Amino acid sequence: MTVAGLPTRRVESYHYTDLKTLLRVVPPLAKAASQASAPALRVAGAFQLMIANGAIQSSTAAPAGVIVGHAKGSVLSKRDDVLVHLNGAFAKDCLTLTLEGNVDPVIQIDHCTEGDAAHVVDSLKIFVADNASAVILETFSGSDTAHIGNHASYLALGKNAIVTHIMVNLSAKATTHFATNEYALVAGAKLRTLTIHAGAALSRSQVFARFAGEGAHADFTGLNLVEDGQHNDITIDIRHGAAHTTSQEMYKQIARGRSKAVFQGKIVVERDAQKVDAKMMMQGLMLSDQAEIFSKPELEIYADDVVCGHGSTCGKLDEDSIFYLMSRGISKVEAEIMLVRGFIAEVLDPIEGEALNEALNSVVDGWLQGV
Amino acid sequence: MSSLPEINVIELLELGVVRIHNRKPGGSASIELKRPPPPASNSGSRLDVIEGRAPDKPMAATPERADKMTAPILEIRNLHARIEEREILKGVNLIIPPGKVHAIMGRNGSGKSTLSYVLAGKEDYEITEGEVLLNGQNLLEMDPSERAAAGLFQAFQYPIEIPGVATMTFLKAAMNAQRKARGEVEMSTPDFMRAVKIAGTDLQIDTGMLKRPLNVGFSGGEKKRAEVLQMALLQPKMCILDETDSGLDIDALQVVSKSINALRSVGRSMLMITHYQRLLNHIVPDVVHVFSDGKIVESGDKDLALQLEAKGYADFDGAAA
Repeated sequence: MTVAGLPTRRVESYHYTDLKTLLRVVPPLAKAASQASAPALRVAGAFQLMIANGAIQSSTAAPAGVIVGHAKGSVLSKRDDVLVHLNGAFAKDCLTLTLEGNVDPVIQIDHCTEGDAAHVVDSLKIFVADNASAVILETFSGSDTAHIGNHASYLALGKNAIVTHIMVNLSAKATTHFATNEYALVAGAKLRTLTIHAGAALSRSQVFARFAGEGAHADFTGLNLVEDGQHNDITIDIRHGAAHTTSQEMYKQIARGRSKAVFQGKIVVERDAQKVDAKMMMQGLMLSDQAEIFSKPELEIYADDVVCGHGSTCGKLDEDSIFYLMSRGISKVEAEIMLVRGFIAEVLDPIEGEALNEALNSVVDGWLQGV
Repeated sequence: MSSLPEINVIELLELGVVRIHNRKPGGSASIELKRPPPPASNSGSRLDVIEGRAPDKPMAATPERADKMTAPILEIRNLHARIEEREILKGVNLIIPPGKVHAIMGRNGSGKSTLSYVLAGKEDYEITEGEVLLNGQNLLEMDPSERAAAGLFQAFQYPIEIPGVATMTFLKAAMNAQRKARGEVEMSTPDFMRAVKIAGTDLQIDTGMLKRPLNVGFSGGEKKRAEVLQMALLQPKMCILDETDSGLDIDALQVVSKSINALRSVGRSMLMITHYQRLLNHIVPDVVHVFSDGKIVESGDKDLALQLEAKGYADFDGAAA
């Protein structure tokens, strides 16, 4: 770690999340967990894979089309990023999932960090066969000490595969949460990602995706919820490497108390990737005077026949809207919650499956009521 | 008060002409007229005649008289309001008895809409003087949601668009919030759906529209119909209709007017704010007031509106001075 050093604000991609300042102590690597844990989020009927302190602890019976295994070595492609380097250096063993056909139940991978402060590094590789479909939910939680989690996943979608991948960070207040998700899409693949930050003192979620086949489409979405004392960062890097690929990026950040929310979004369109359509939007909502929201959209386009756009907005709740709702008898607090839910709706509504949608809404409700 | 030495206070109390105040904790009870005598310089005193409230005439407690004297739903006394340094309301006096429909007409910028916002409780305005009572309760001490629960409803000229909140979700939240505030049980979903369906049919509102986010992408007519739908569901005692006819075509105006007329009842009063006489052909008011430079300068029956339509507001401009 000291060889390359932690990135400072002079490193462009860590400009708003200066790890050299924010990360003072790294606890020892985690030992095996001694106690069984319950999943951080309950989704009725889900296939559950429980991971404690980086190792598989238990699972329910795998449904048809799911093969669980493990492999050696790191899962992420080489890239000049400290979290990727660290994960590659420490994760010796990775969990693998091979998904064939239409996997009906939600696949929930629950990461739990128990006991004293520990550095947990784990990695996951998921292969989704051609024409297969699945909904994968990863949840993160654990005991409230200064853990550092560095999680990685590599998800490869086969031809015409349809995948929803949701990451929910519910880590305890004293912890640090890092996650890097890499996606590879070939022709006709359809991906929806959702990153929810609703925990930890410091979080950074990285999404690296590459479109390698025509007709692939992805919706990258996220909800960065930050409250007093938190610093949460979502950084995405989306590469359109094939023609006729489309993506939509929609990230919402809500900050209250003295907190910091960061979104960095980069879309790269490679030279041969003509007819790409990519639209990125970040919307920020500030609920206090001390909240800070940073947003950095970037487009890097080498093809000459594409439609790309980005937008970024930031504001507070609209007084006229609050007044309108109150004039119908709704109390101020309820009116505010209603407006925040309305602000979030376009990110949560597309998630199908009633049980899953309810579980995700409960995360948001929990955060809203924690005022 | 000294001008009424011969009249028995008890008799006046029964008639509802005076009331006893003791709202301030620790304050002593005081007796005052329900409507303060107009200042000598104020020519807008015809309201007294219309409502039969001239306090300087001796009155007999006949049943007919007593009926007219029932406690008003809305009572505005000498209301002054400003936004930043600009005074917009300059002494509004208005009494609306139960079941009556009053209309306020006035040119742009006369302060009509400000009056409606002040009544609904918008924070941008500072009340510098005066009092507003809704069913005898001090309206100005309540926040907008408390005013709604107390029975006030405002149909806005420009209803606000609320993205992400389905109209149906909002309607249910509003109905149940008011019921909760009044200590009533929440409405069950089937009862709610039934109520929405009945009210929506008259207004030609289909359920598809109610699944959409509140007012988002609604046409001008749909917005106004949605406002009247809320009014029908929330069953307020005092409705303020701010420029309800704006943005409506002739057919939509008929549909909306029909629904509003259906909501007229003994226990519900209305205050219509409008530029044009057109709306008053459809919803015929009991009393018409002319608003100019922040106060009511003339009151009369529905014919006053026709007179205004023919001659314009120019005649009344001097009256406010």
